[in-house]
Amino acid sequence: MPDSSMALPIGRRALVRAAAVAMASAPLLRIERLAAGEPDPEIPNEIVAQLIRARIGDRKPVRGKVTLDMPAAAEDGRIVPVIIEGLELPMTPAQHVKSVYLIVDHNPDPLVGAFHLSPQLGRLEIQTRIKMKRLSWVRCLAEMNTGEVWADYARVSVSLNGCG
Amino acid sequence: MRTTIGEARLRLPARIAKGDVIMVNAIVTHPMDTGFFRTPEGQPIPAFFVKDVVVRFGGAEVARFEWTSGISRDPVVSFPLLADREGTLEVTWTDSQGSTFTQQVPVAFGAA
Repeated sequence: MPDSSMALPIGRRALVRAAAVAMASAPLLRIERLAAGEPDPEIPNEIVAQLIRARIGDRKPVRGKVTLDMPAAAEDGRIVPVIIEGLELPMTPAQHVKSVYLIVDHNPDPLVGAFHLSPQLGRLEIQTRIKMKRLSWVRCLAEMNTGEVWADYARVSVSLNGCG
Repeated sequence: MRTTIGEARLRLPARIAKGDVIMVNAIVTHPMDTGFFRTPEGQPIPAFFVKDVVVRFGGAEVARFEWTSGISRDPVVSFPLLADREGTLEVTWTDSQGSTFTQQVPVAFGAA
């Protein structure tokens, strides 16, 4: 695809469209994943385990409170929409989400982003677009300033390698 | 090939009331090269990406994003902001070659 066609308006439309699809289909897809007996995503490979340890130490992420919405099948691995939400998590000076880590297990560089937040944001909601190389678990970890780490996982298949 | 890098845009809702949690949409044009691709002639394309995004509201840092080349080309991010006062929202993107791109937008409450 020529570079000039990747201009802003196309990307934005694609994001909105993909986000709408992801939001509409996420609950159903999650049920399908469970039924298919997927491997336990809470056991990362060694590279990912080291990366997680470097960020949160020996704390164990607990599934819940935060949601990672992604398409179950992404056609273009160069542009995979991601929505992270944790609307029931507090965002006050005393108790708030300090950092959110977004990790793709099978990417060449598994840490896609670390988002450091503050109470001024009012709530946890981050939307972006990432690259994916191939079928992989994607991990979202939300670290509270009080120490808890909440997590959600998505298994995403990719048709076109977005990482080279 | 692309002609611009670092063309940045911030979008806010048209109408903001005091106390709203608004969504901010921030985009910057950037190739976000991973270092894993080659040109059609076979030359490796070195890694070149936005690695740091700082969000300031009224002069104070309210968020900071560490990115890798795993974020898509022309990176887009949307995040909330508690509009509990008026002030300038400023986002600064820094890439792996040290270039910085800054965009500002006023957060102002509309007349009732």
